[in-house]
Amino acid sequence: MTPILATKLHMPLSRQGRVRRLSLIQRLNEGLQGKMTLISAPAGFGKTTLLCEWIAGSGRPAAWLSLDDGDNAPVRFLVHLIAALQTVAPGIGSRILAALQSVHPPPVDAILPELLHDLGALPHAVILVLDDYHVLDAPQLHAALSFLLDHLPPQLHLAVATREDPDLPLARLRVQGQLTELRAADLRFALPEVTEFLNRMMALGLSEANVAVLDHRTEGWIAGLQLAALSMQGRENLPAFIEAFAGDHRFIVDYLMEEVLRRQPEDVRTFLLHTSILERLCGSLCNAVTGQTGGSARLEALERGNFFVVPLDDRRHWYRYHHLFADFLQMHLQADQPGGVPALHRQASVWFESEASAADAIRHALAAKDVERAADLIERAVPALRRSRQEATALDWLRVLPDLVVRRRPVLSVYYAGGLLMGGQREGVEERLLDAQRWLDGTQMDAAPPMVVVDQDEFRGLGSLIALYRAAMALSSGHFTETVTQARRVLDLVPAGDEFKRGAASGLMGLALWADGYLEEAHQSYLEAMAGLHRAGYRSDAVGCAVAVADLELEQGHLHLALATYERGLHVAMEGGGLALRGAADMHVGLSALACERGDLKAATQHLSRSRELGEFLGLPQNRFRWCRTAARIKEIQGDLDGALDLLNEAQRLYVSDFFPEVRPIAALRARIWIKQGKVEDALAWATAQHLSTIDLLTYLREFEHITLARLLLSQEHHKQTNPALLQAINLLERFLYAAKDGGRTRSVSEILVLQALAYRQRGDGREALTRLEAALKLAMPERNIRIFVDEGAPMAVMLKKFAKQGSTVNAVWQLLKAFENAGNAAAVNPSSLETLSERELEVLRLLQSELTGPELARTLAVSLNTLRTHTKNIYSKLGVNTRRAALRRAHELELI
Amino acid sequence: MSAPQELAEARDGPGSYQIRVKEHLDARWAARFEGLSLSHERSGSTLTGLLLDQAALHGVLRKIHDSGLTLLAVVQVVSEVAEPMELDPAQSRH
Repeated sequence: MTPILATKLHMPLSRQGRVRRLSLIQRLNEGLQGKMTLISAPAGFGKTTLLCEWIAGSGRPAAWLSLDDGDNAPVRFLVHLIAALQTVAPGIGSRILAALQSVHPPPVDAILPELLHDLGALPHAVILVLDDYHVLDAPQLHAALSFLLDHLPPQLHLAVATREDPDLPLARLRVQGQLTELRAADLRFALPEVTEFLNRMMALGLSEANVAVLDHRTEGWIAGLQLAALSMQGRENLPAFIEAFAGDHRFIVDYLMEEVLRRQPEDVRTFLLHTSILERLCGSLCNAVTGQTGGSARLEALERGNFFVVPLDDRRHWYRYHHLFADFLQMHLQADQPGGVPALHRQASVWFESEASAADAIRHALAAKDVERAADLIERAVPALRRSRQEATALDWLRVLPDLVVRRRPVLSVYYAGGLLMGGQREGVEERLLDAQRWLDGTQMDAAPPMVVVDQDEFRGLGSLIALYRAAMALSSGHFTETVTQARRVLDLVPAGDEFKRGAASGLMGLALWADGYLEEAHQSYLEAMAGLHRAGYRSDAVGCAVAVADLELEQGHLHLALATYERGLHVAMEGGGLALRGAADMHVGLSALACERGDLKAATQHLSRSRELGEFLGLPQNRFRWCRTAARIKEIQGDLDGALDLLNEAQRLYVSDFFPEVRPIAALRARIWIKQGKVEDALAWATAQHLSTIDLLTYLREFEHITLARLLLSQEHHKQTNPALLQAINLLERFLYAAKDGGRTRSVSEILVLQALAYRQRGDGREALTRLEAALKLAMPERNIRIFVDEGAPMAVMLKKFAKQGSTVNAVWQLLKAFENAGNAAAVNPSSLETLSERELEVLRLLQSELTGPELARTLAVSLNTLRTHTKNIYSKLGVNTRRAALRRAHELELI
Repeated sequence: MSAPQELAEARDGPGSYQIRVKEHLDARWAARFEGLSLSHERSGSTLTGLLLDQAALHGVLRKIHDSGLTLLAVVQVVSEVAEPMELDPAQSRH
């Protein structure tokens, strides 16, 4: 845990005595029966102090989180939230934390159910405190917290302290009696509390009348009373002071701050003013900024003296001023010494730099308006940020720098471009890259200010980084040739050891080649990317590559290879024990889709459930979409076409555009279901909307749609043998076949052959139909791609039966007929019954018909007796029998011999 | 009352605002509300000036809230006739 995070999770319990607020605490305790406590009041009303006092005495463990601006980034917020919860429930949400800290953190709404699940398992009651909630303004976070509140497990109570009412369903909670609220009117000190504070705690010994005057003047505002007490301490004539204070009409803070500061010794006043620029204070930092010594002792003295100093840890190393107090100090500093402020920030920046706290050093350099210093610091800080995937932070800094400062720094220019790209922004990227390129090429204009480079190592590798970003730009604009050119340049420039850049370049190249239809080259490129990233330790990225590699293998009809790829990916995702990596869920979805095509619905369903069990946050961005698409496929195979359509619509909704080519668009999948349902009108409307026609130029990216169009034509002409449209469909398919074969796209080739077989049969050309069918069987059956035939239903079954009596690939035909039988009860399909008998096994099966004994058979086959036993055992198990006699009977039944 | 179109124009672009708070503020505060001028009345102070847009206005309002000041009114000076938008000045206390 970083020191900063530790201070955010620390309940700032002051060691000072406090005014005990028993009635408020009683209300808070009673409120624990409800879901939420809201303490909503302006600054200085003692919200945090009250929370601390309540929690310290409540006997319930509390997870404390002090929010700041940075928590508006949802990932950061969730990381901090879980870290806070872990202070009271060690280990809770560890899996979520791991996922959040990965390359592409999962979306918040994928995480919440998992978080709720973990919270539901809390062994004891816990209060979750979110202090300074008003700093959150990201609507996404309000939505997330509303969701948490709606599903809050009974063990958890949410307590929120804020200056503004939060955008949470407060009205509903009020009506349900689930909300306890304390507001400004409740928090103001009442007269007895004012008396206790001034006379007991601050020991000022004031008369009742004087206390009443102060109560009236401050309206029970606690920060005002505390300031008043500070300005009265050690003063001789208190009644006179109080009279003057009461008679003055200025804002009490203006009046009292001046009093407080005026009464401090010079060095204390300087200390307070100069350190007011700091968000957090520690002795050494204060010394650096003030030029004084003894900072730690000073801070402790201020805490003891009630100077609005809040300890941020138990060791009293870090403190901060009460926000309001810091604001007023800064106002005085600004008014009294406006010229000195930048120097203070600069000293703070230097101190943080020496402490290797880049973000703070940069923040103070920017506040000092020392942009060159800030630029230097940013240039040094970005490589580390890039490694931890915080490009967005780098971009935030760079946006603040004046354009000219960035432009004369090639390294920063390229970082700027990278930050834009990572944020999905294309505008301005090339401009920044060109700026940097000009420095590299030495073509910068003469009049330009001199180049600045701080990080020489990065500068040396800049050419390849520029090419990498250009490759990404080209890919997102659909310029595939340019993508490949730039990616090649990266590979030429980057030394063998830089696996990340090489992997990224190979991946981009693979995507471009894929989208262009060069499947084999794309496959090769992606394999290299996957291996490189794995070697470099980017395991999750490597698993992500496996999705693409397997997709490509499926396109090429290599179901066996795809299976191996998913299994290897799953292995990588699970290795290293304990926590599965992101992408594990994707592997199961892939395995499920594969099992579908092999007709093994049981396995398909199991993998899909397994993916869901792992949790959505173990899926890459596209996984939810793929999950739904696969679930739709299962429904389709089960014959629930309406269910399939619903899931496809859901998949459409979940689709996130990424760089993967959309090879099988959801709209086309939906059209295929409509065709099956006989909803020709809907399917035609789809074809029109997609501008599909039989004379289109054939491109790989539209191939699936074109084949779907051919299906539509065939389905329309079902009963009209002589209709010219049938011929049109056949011709269309012939063109597709040529293109698909040319591109090595075996999956499409097989499907086209199947459709041709059906079309020729429809025309009455049985011979040609069988030729096509045989070709399809030869391609698809060795890979056990069964559904490609079974999907076609009765016409295919009839054709196969006819074929079984005459053809050469009888074994495969039998398997398919078996699959057709099972399709009636598709969910119960037993994969083992679908396994192919090998040529050798068929040979053994034929010999089993003879009277030969085992040893004689072995001799005839020239194998050992053991090998023969292995063969017969396999044959028996595939045929589902136990004896030689039963095997022969079954084989005759099935026309295997 | 201004015509709707004029109002829309005023809402989109920069506009002159008067913001009244209950407290009497020191001259120091002018620096905190950069660009706005500060004046005093019998009951409180007024910040006046040109603000770029609604976001700038909300930024000022947030500062007022964060400083513990009590907001009384926000007036946008659209045309010659200003339409004050009075907020409830009373803060209950027991």
